[in-house]
Amino acid sequence: MISKTTRIAIDPVHYEENPVETVPAPEFMFVPGENTRCRAYELSIKEGEHVYLYQKIGVRNGGYFKQNMFAPCSGTYLGLEKHTYRNGKSIDFLKFQNDFKDERDPSYHERSDEEIFALSPEEIIAISEEYSLVGLGGSSFPTSVKLKGTDHVTHLVVNGIECEPTLPVDKLLMENDAEELIKGLRLLKRCLGSEHIYLCIKKKYAGLVAKYQELFLGEEGMEVRPCRDYYPQGWEIGLIKDVTGIKVPSGALPRKQGVLDINVATVVSLYQAAKYSRPVAERYLAIIGDGLEKTANYRVKVGTPIRPLIEKCGYKDDGEVKTLIVGGPMMGGTVPSDDLISTPCLSSVLVYEQGKAEREHPCIHCASCVYSCPTGLVPAEIMNAYKAMDKEKIKALHPERCVECGLCSYSCTSHIRVTDYVRKAKRVAKLL
Amino acid sequence: MEFALETSPHIKRRDSLWSMLSDVIIALLPATVMAFVAFPLDSLKTFLIAIPVMVACEWLFVFFTNVPRGKDGKILPFPEWVKYAWGKGSVNNILAPIVSGMIFALTLPASASWYHVLIGAIVGIVIGKLVFGGTGNNIFNPALVGMLFSKLCFGAQWNLNQNSWMVEDVVAGGTPLGTIGGGNYGAIGQYNLFDMFMGWIPGTLGEVSKLAIIVGLAYLLIRRAADWRVVVGYLGTFVLLMGCAGIYITLHYEGAFTWLEFMGYEVLSGGLLFGATFMITDPVTGPITSPSRWIYACFGGAMVVIIRLLGALPEGVGFSILLANAIAPALDYHKWLSKGWKLWHFIALALIILLSLLVVMLALAYGDILQ
Repeated sequence: MISKTTRIAIDPVHYEENPVETVPAPEFMFVPGENTRCRAYELSIKEGEHVYLYQKIGVRNGGYFKQNMFAPCSGTYLGLEKHTYRNGKSIDFLKFQNDFKDERDPSYHERSDEEIFALSPEEIIAISEEYSLVGLGGSSFPTSVKLKGTDHVTHLVVNGIECEPTLPVDKLLMENDAEELIKGLRLLKRCLGSEHIYLCIKKKYAGLVAKYQELFLGEEGMEVRPCRDYYPQGWEIGLIKDVTGIKVPSGALPRKQGVLDINVATVVSLYQAAKYSRPVAERYLAIIGDGLEKTANYRVKVGTPIRPLIEKCGYKDDGEVKTLIVGGPMMGGTVPSDDLISTPCLSSVLVYEQGKAEREHPCIHCASCVYSCPTGLVPAEIMNAYKAMDKEKIKALHPERCVECGLCSYSCTSHIRVTDYVRKAKRVAKLL
Repeated sequence: MEFALETSPHIKRRDSLWSMLSDVIIALLPATVMAFVAFPLDSLKTFLIAIPVMVACEWLFVFFTNVPRGKDGKILPFPEWVKYAWGKGSVNNILAPIVSGMIFALTLPASASWYHVLIGAIVGIVIGKLVFGGTGNNIFNPALVGMLFSKLCFGAQWNLNQNSWMVEDVVAGGTPLGTIGGGNYGAIGQYNLFDMFMGWIPGTLGEVSKLAIIVGLAYLLIRRAADWRVVVGYLGTFVLLMGCAGIYITLHYEGAFTWLEFMGYEVLSGGLLFGATFMITDPVTGPITSPSRWIYACFGGAMVVIIRLLGALPEGVGFSILLANAIAPALDYHKWLSKGWKLWHFIALALIILLSLLVVMLALAYGDILQ
């Protein structure tokens, strides 16, 4: 129909109600060699060498930044083995044998809270750089690059929205790790000197909103902002506009307007990095979807193979072809194999039954995609421009602003995969 | 285990093109039923020719544009060709021409002969839609193209004054607009406004009941099969401009009728409500952004007023919508396409309304139109 889509219609499921099971560290743990932003890596250890827990073992090169690699367990480095990375590619993983001793390097000492809050802003940024912290909301953008900068951040928006339908991961973190989240916020306040910190939670989680409002009573400059439950409420620029009113142009750095947006899991990882001198070591993992016998929430150590966990949930044995999605149902990508390894940015695995392939009908200009696009694009016209290969028209329609949220494909009356056309137009526009 | 690969998003919305087309058909049903009640045999003739002819032309188009070739490049034999084309067609290739056929039939009068309907239907669907490439590619509303072709070619042979059995007094006059045509506004009052609302007046099949059209409009808006901006813009501009003209005309006729009677007469007569509900809301022929839709609708409304007041034809809705369809692609040109309201939208809107107002008022005052 001709309408703006804000809610994704899914049969109501409550995956956040599944109890969280902590998965003990397995016998073999893995670290990816390359990752999304870094294609090359160098190791500083040899096969057969003993490693301490979270010992630095190598460096990844990311073009404009370097990322350190750390051992996920104490034990022996065995060599390279191929597994599936979260983007679906089969890449080399470093295989470690766990000796279950969790031995840290002898020079390590756990920082107490007094020491943590005595760190200077430069030291905090150095910690985030040393332990290669990245954005855990899906961007995997290096946190140190985000925190460095000369523009002062007046408003810090802390994103606990998790607008992807049915995902429970950030909610579980906010429920269970409240103390670490607040200490992480205090640490960020020290680092950035922000006057206002807004913790954004969906209005419908009234209990969570009330809990944090109470916890923030003693804190200065921190407040809870309940937000509407629509998709994509968690989109950075949209959330910043809803919470602070600041309009950040597409493609620009929000920091220039004095605002920054950070995911709740990244905040917790910053505190943990300062306290335990370690990289992201634990994540909540939700294995959900209607293609599974039962769904589950886990707390896993980074480096754990995921296939045994999915097999524990069990695939539905009804002969239907299944899709395996890493991420959320609207923006996640499908992977060809369930031989996945837990990495910091992998927080949910969905198994859906693919269903019948839908036929695409001609575009009738109903403008549902135009009304639904959060970035203000006209997707149907971009599709026409791409089909006609009209380069001037493609450029004039600014497809580079697209965040690939998927709402245009979702709301299309004719079931056209409009998002794919905009993605292709994006690539063409980059070459122009 | 094997997994299928697909691109995001991975959730599909439940409604679809065929549900939207079905909604339009359902919205057309009240008017269709009233047409059958008022003119049973003539409606049967018109609908039975218009709809199947349009569906047949559409399927011929599907057949001729989906030519399966074998490995040697030769066209496959006829039975396989038919099967292949049948597979390529879909239920939308049935529903879309049914919608066009129903709308086309409702714009014709009961006195149209079978061959008027036949030729009009063929011209409408072929030249109005199929030569552009089928559903989604046409610039002009196919039902309108057919209707205007029929009217221009055969209109002289139509008897628009044929009354349905529901009109109790046989009025020896023409249709409401024909009566006041040529500036004879003194004739307002000849038709009771209530009769015009219920449709107990001479006119086309669709005008038999305005109430039925309004019910259809409400259904379309609730189901969101039509964009309310287009309807409000079209009717609103019409009321605004005709209202200003009405003030002048009412004063000129010094008490023969009130301004409200004049406005009621104009709004309830002719194809205005029918066009506002079913023709201008056709999404394919209109622009794609919200401000452009407002400009498109206002332009259409302004054109109706100008043609009705100043043109030689009594009825302007058909032409006004065709003219609006003609400017719709220009409103969507990529150099100035924008989802939000920009300065040029406001300027265009203001220009349309002010220029039309100027033209209408000047013509009324100095154009020697009123008797």
